[in-house]
Amino acid sequence: MQPEKFYYDNKIVRNFGIATVIWGIIGMLVGLIVAIQLYKPEMNMHNQYTTFGRVRPLHTNAVIFAFVGNAIFMGIYYSLQRLMKARMFSDVLSKLHFWGWQLIIVSAVITLPLGLTTSHEYAELEWPIDILITLVWVVFGINMFGTIIKRRERHIYVAVWFYIATFVTIAVLHIVNSIELPVGFFKSYMVYAGVQDALVQWWYGHNAVAFFLTTPYLGMMYYFLPKMANRPIYSYKLSILHFWALIFIYIWAGPHHLLYTTLPGWAQSLGVAFSVMLIAPSWGGMINGLLTLRGAWDKVRDDVTLKFMVVGLTAYGMATFEGPMLSLKQVNAIGHFTDWIIAHVHVGALGWNGFLTFAILYWLVPRIYKTELYSKKMASFHFWIGTLGILFYAIPMYWAGFTQGLMLKEFTPEGILKYPSFLETTMRILPMHVMRSVGGAMYLTGVIVMAYNLYKTAIQGKLVANEAAEAMPLPKLNPEASTERWHRRLERKPIMFLVASLIVILIGTFVELMPTLTISSNIPTIASVKPYSPLELQGRDLYIREGCSNCHSQTIRPFRSETERYGEYSKAGEFVYDHPFLWGSKRTGPDLQREGGKYSNSWHYNHLMDPRLMSPGSIMPNYDWLITQKLDTTTTAVKIRAMQKLGVPYPAGYDKVANQDLDKQAKGIADNLAKDHIKVKSNKEIVAIIAYLQRLGTDIKAGKTANN
Amino acid sequence: MKPIRIIFLSLFVLAITPAFAENGSLLSGETMNYIGFGAIVLALITLCVAMYIVLKAFRVVAKILLGPEELEEKKVDKVALKAQKKAARSERINKIFSLKPMSEEQSILIPHEYDGIQELNNPTPAWFMYLFYVTIVFAVGYLLIYHVFGVGQLQYDEYRTEMAVAAKEKAAFLAKSADNVDETTVKLSADATVLAAGKATFDGKCAACHGNNGQGVVGPNLTDDYWLHGNKISDIFKTIKYGVQSKGMPTWESQLTPKQISDVANYVKSLHGTNPANPKEPQGTKMADDENSAKDAKPKTAMVVK
Repeated sequence: MQPEKFYYDNKIVRNFGIATVIWGIIGMLVGLIVAIQLYKPEMNMHNQYTTFGRVRPLHTNAVIFAFVGNAIFMGIYYSLQRLMKARMFSDVLSKLHFWGWQLIIVSAVITLPLGLTTSHEYAELEWPIDILITLVWVVFGINMFGTIIKRRERHIYVAVWFYIATFVTIAVLHIVNSIELPVGFFKSYMVYAGVQDALVQWWYGHNAVAFFLTTPYLGMMYYFLPKMANRPIYSYKLSILHFWALIFIYIWAGPHHLLYTTLPGWAQSLGVAFSVMLIAPSWGGMINGLLTLRGAWDKVRDDVTLKFMVVGLTAYGMATFEGPMLSLKQVNAIGHFTDWIIAHVHVGALGWNGFLTFAILYWLVPRIYKTELYSKKMASFHFWIGTLGILFYAIPMYWAGFTQGLMLKEFTPEGILKYPSFLETTMRILPMHVMRSVGGAMYLTGVIVMAYNLYKTAIQGKLVANEAAEAMPLPKLNPEASTERWHRRLERKPIMFLVASLIVILIGTFVELMPTLTISSNIPTIASVKPYSPLELQGRDLYIREGCSNCHSQTIRPFRSETERYGEYSKAGEFVYDHPFLWGSKRTGPDLQREGGKYSNSWHYNHLMDPRLMSPGSIMPNYDWLITQKLDTTTTAVKIRAMQKLGVPYPAGYDKVANQDLDKQAKGIADNLAKDHIKVKSNKEIVAIIAYLQRLGTDIKAGKTANN
Repeated sequence: MKPIRIIFLSLFVLAITPAFAENGSLLSGETMNYIGFGAIVLALITLCVAMYIVLKAFRVVAKILLGPEELEEKKVDKVALKAQKKAARSERINKIFSLKPMSEEQSILIPHEYDGIQELNNPTPAWFMYLFYVTIVFAVGYLLIYHVFGVGQLQYDEYRTEMAVAAKEKAAFLAKSADNVDETTVKLSADATVLAAGKATFDGKCAACHGNNGQGVVGPNLTDDYWLHGNKISDIFKTIKYGVQSKGMPTWESQLTPKQISDVANYVKSLHGTNPANPKEPQGTKMADDENSAKDAKPKTAMVVK
């Protein structure tokens, strides 16, 4: 048999590489801006499009899907071709994939600042973009499996196992979490409400971390690390064990994001138990990586790419140990909703995803350009400033998290909250927030230096767009093959492998989602909880548009420190008309679930216009545009009809008269404001959002008065 | 070592900044925070630079003092020592991870390569497997404790316990405390310390809605003769303590101590008739200030009664 000649497509790798660097800088810059807004609200540049609530999702989407996403595709397109000994299946699909993905990102950059959002964290993009994501993902899948099928290598290497699991799980997660009912071209309502919606979202959110930020990177680590160190992988057995254990257990752990909420207790406990079991499988990847470097540690001292790898793997190990610890209820009670979580995710994102990406870029760019890295000194500078940046970021955030978490729980001996004003705890941690932005700026500086270094490298070399390679075609399966161990056999059946991974991840999915979504006893109803009035519904959509839930939670946990501070703890039945749920995941400001009736309408008006009028020192931005902008009531009817379709019991034909009720309620609020010398027309947005805020959490109080 | 020292130092400094900030006299606490903070960052950077310079200086001094040959010798010694240490360390690591010595690696190399990448047939480390088993046992135990044996309290039971314990502790504390006042026992007072304490609380909590001088902003004017919920000290105490939900007056019971509520109530009483600038229009019904006038008219009797 003659070896076959073929060419690796390096151009697509280069393109994804460029996109990685550019989007990385943009995403991190946006991150820096929102970080500064947390102590200097004026950094929103006095307009709605760059205000924290709208731009924070832009930061998360840009770094996760644009920076990390492009890096994943760069790594996969480079390694998959070489591991399969074949060019990518189709150049057309590769290009479609590349430009499709960039189109998704650009549409995110446009829509998120406009306030077009589903409010589901890390899945904020509206339904037309969701469809586009699905299509591009299918293109990626066909291209990947096409390549695998026409491979010249019998068995598929562990890196590709992780790529397969990534592909199939992200597809399932994205589709289930995007089941929404469109109400116009850029607005939709989640099909599930309240507790159910929360569970679906955090099943998604947690596993986006697992299958977008973890598994593809483990796969890339398995290819690039042994290449860089020129060492064999430490243990094949460990690869098998930790791969299957990881993907099986990870999918169960989502509910640990909802501890002490109204999620049924059994689901919470499953989340905790499986999170703890995740320690070993996660560490399996780190151990296999670090022990692969055995006998190559002297190289680590000189080789900057290996330095990035080692710190990246260590950060991964720390984050995956901390995660399970944070899942323990007692720890979660303090850490949840605080900066501790921000520190935790950034150790993972900056350390693991960032550093691995940099290592791969430094290794790969000189190779596809057939040259040496332009400056090793600059790369070394990048490594040190990046590492220091992570420390300067993480340590203050941990400090802030502990400080605020503990302050919020402190009582005086008289049985009164020691810090009854939430703002007092916020002011205390502002210096830590300043320090964090310094750390972030250092990290970003490193990335910019890298971009320059890589650019110089590229122009001093020449891109080998099509790299020649040769390999023997696959021979017929020899009879010995039937004596292979079961896993070895599975390794030469990629479709079986895909199906097996799918089954493994669906087990946890079904056990956790199905009972909550179908058994009604999991969500006890409350008779006094009524659907939102049309004005409140519109106000709620403004609350979603402004991204209020990025800073304010709407779920009161059953703790003395929370019921004393905010009011009665949340009940599952209160959220049954909440499409989508708005519990939030971070309390930069106080919880708002029982906000209704706490303050007067005029307090809210003044507070939204300039929060510092009512709460001196507040870091909430001004929402003065709500006063000038007119509420769009043309959408009321279609929104009411959509809600009816989702099972919200508005009377039949209510959509036609809803705007009359809306006007009446708005006029009432405007009149009430007028009494306090505030002149505002009843058709302004601020009236709707006040109506919504005043409704929050009041339904169960109404029930009480009726009963008494 | 050096980076560790820097980290500890910065942690220490971070820990003490808030303490400094609170004592800011002329500048606001926030500005003090920023100034202190800038100083710390500056100090840290200076420290880094200083250490770097000192390190360079030591090298130069060593070179001059030792002369080129001796320096070479020292270097050789150092290298030998390092190699020794390294060997000892790698042996320790081998033991922990039950690794085969590097020389025997060939025997466990799997005869296959993927784009040049080979794999070893090492067993999964024993301690790793133990870790996995322990977490599985923990997980099963956790589910059993909370959901089968019912030993552990789930969140709502946990909450009831927490509240019961807190109520007991609070009662025990207040029983011993002299400040245990409520709406039936609250007394009118013109004591300067009481009014000063009341003013402090008022400025922090009440002024946003009732104005700095009680003239009324969003909330009603507290200085005129018109009252919505009564003007007796016990009425005012009650209004503050329980709030008036429908009118936007929050409940202060969980945020202020009984003593603080009593102080504020007295301060509010003292505001009556002060005629501040920009008063809000009257709300409620006109009421005579019986208590104050009674006190003024018959101070002696009041004293006797007391």
